[in-house]
Amino acid sequence: MHRGKGMKFVGDSRVPAENRMPNIPKDYSEYPGKTEPFWPNFLLREWMVGAVFLVGYLCLTVAHPAPLERVADPTDSGYIPLPDWYFLFLYQLLKYTYASGDYTVIGAVVIPGIAFGALLLAPWLDRGPERRPVKRPIATGLMLLAVASIIFLTWESVATHDWEKAAQQGAIVDDVEVDESAEAYAIYQSQQSCIGCHGGDMLGGAAAPSVFQSDYSKEEVMEIIVNGVPDKGMPAGQFAGTDEELEILAEFIANDGQVPAGE
Amino acid sequence: MLQKIYDWVDERLDITPMWRDIADHEVPEHVNPAHHFSAFVYCFGGLTFFVVVIQILSGMFLTMYYVPDIINAYESVYFLQHEVTHGVIVRGMHHWGASLVIVMMFLHTLRVFFTGSYKKPRELNWVVGVLIFFVMLGLGFTGYLLPWDMKAYFATVVGLEIAESAPVIGGFAKALLAGGEIIGAQTLTRFFAIHVFFLPGALLGLLGAHFYMIRKQGISGPL
Amino acid sequence: MSEKEHKVSRRQFLTYSLVGVGGFMAASAISPMVRFALDPALEAGGESDYVAVTTVDQLSEEPQRFDFQVEVVDAWYTSNQPRSAWIYKEGDEIIALSPQCTHLGCTVNWNANEDHPNQFYCPCHDGRFEKSGQNVANTPPTRPLDIYEMEVRDGTVYLGKTIERKTV
Repeated sequence: MHRGKGMKFVGDSRVPAENRMPNIPKDYSEYPGKTEPFWPNFLLREWMVGAVFLVGYLCLTVAHPAPLERVADPTDSGYIPLPDWYFLFLYQLLKYTYASGDYTVIGAVVIPGIAFGALLLAPWLDRGPERRPVKRPIATGLMLLAVASIIFLTWESVATHDWEKAAQQGAIVDDVEVDESAEAYAIYQSQQSCIGCHGGDMLGGAAAPSVFQSDYSKEEVMEIIVNGVPDKGMPAGQFAGTDEELEILAEFIANDGQVPAGE
Repeated sequence: MLQKIYDWVDERLDITPMWRDIADHEVPEHVNPAHHFSAFVYCFGGLTFFVVVIQILSGMFLTMYYVPDIINAYESVYFLQHEVTHGVIVRGMHHWGASLVIVMMFLHTLRVFFTGSYKKPRELNWVVGVLIFFVMLGLGFTGYLLPWDMKAYFATVVGLEIAESAPVIGGFAKALLAGGEIIGAQTLTRFFAIHVFFLPGALLGLLGAHFYMIRKQGISGPL
Repeated sequence: MSEKEHKVSRRQFLTYSLVGVGGFMAASAISPMVRFALDPALEAGGESDYVAVTTVDQLSEEPQRFDFQVEVVDAWYTSNQPRSAWIYKEGDEIIALSPQCTHLGCTVNWNANEDHPNQFYCPCHDGRFEKSGQNVANTPPTRPLDIYEMEVRDGTVYLGKTIERKTV
């Protein structure tokens, strides 16, 4: 390359005015053996893989909309919290005896600290010249152990989580407007056994969901009040009013908290 | 026409050497899936970068509707998902992309580890890669809070409890991240700033270093 | 193998394919995002809601100003915003004009300037309009005052959205 005195530049810049490199790709004969140029040969192959990947990605996106639960309610202490799936292994770790309670520091700081620190410093912990995994059994073994324990912990966390209950707790609830002046509302308020579980506002409480959650007919509601739902823990025979009151209340519940029209 | 524009720029900036260097560099046989199918493991890094690009784009578009404020955050996410055309797709891309980045990056890390590619002279690039890994986890953690729904809120509560359990600096770290005693309005704006400005800025710098070192050193040889 | 024997060389073919695949990836990833961003611009204008403003028997030949409120839905935020209209009768016809000057959006007033009686006058740049809303030539506004969509039901005047007019 031409340097030093006598060199011409574009204006007062440092870009040389002459003998600039022509924009001609190297001939294919300059690629020895089975090597190939990055552009366009290799990049085309990469992008074809990328295009297939993208199609799968978009299908996933269309098939499963991103979940959105109800708006955060910091006062709802009954909610079972769960981090995003790739933090589950750390979360699960904190459930074991020697990583929680008095030993929380071990589970929250020491173990992850050692693991991630070792990952960061791997080039200095494994200094030998060998690159094949079988020729450096300690490094390979430790990594396999780490991967296995991450998979195990994630699996344990998924298996012990009550997904059904969490989905129910997080579900977006339709606003139910309860007609508090209705006769049926007064009947409900007189039934301590109902309030005890379904809450004073009929919208769910400590032990049971909102009474309006499912779409039952009047007959089905009466049947449930009388016989309970033993599978889900609702006992039978709790209603202490008359049959007439039972009917009014059932009709009110079946009609989503409003006195049925035409009465 | 295009040629003329290229020549005009090239005359002033001499860009040919830079782009020819990238275009003409030799890609060795052992990373090319066309020659050895098992070489598909060398695609994970590129795919990670591809998803990162989609994450940056979809994230930029999402901020056109999103409001980082405890009263409006949920409403705005609900609105963009249910009322805006293709909102469900754009938010879905960002949501699933976050998981795909982690998966792809994990696979890429394992490939680099098991091929011993972090050894001399590539130690620094490994360190930068692990730092990128941490930044990605940070992006995942801070982004999870932003929709301000039940799982977002309580996952953050748990996450910050874990931070608090660290000895000596625990309380300080928690207060710094949460922006106060309560996990609430200030936590959300903080997480938003970290998620949208601080960590992406760090990520871009680290990615630049990562790619520069790959270009400088080349891909590690066959086993 | 010489590359010059073919019209399209191997390298050119690969480059075209590369640009094609890249274009496909960029288009399929970005097009939903662009549609997402353009949504407010492409959204068809919703049906206008009519708001009761006044009753017919309060109107006269003289324009009077009526204030009313419309419910404005702005994405997830709903608010009531004040609007006003100059309404008068011309024979049997009822005309409701928007008070926004078509020059730069100041508020016009009826009969407000002593030099220009029986005209709408805009204090910002001396814009003037006839009673019909027609802009007076050689004043800043370039088109007549906007007119409200109007409906009369049971003696009550309902106003909807404003409509731009080129001429009266």
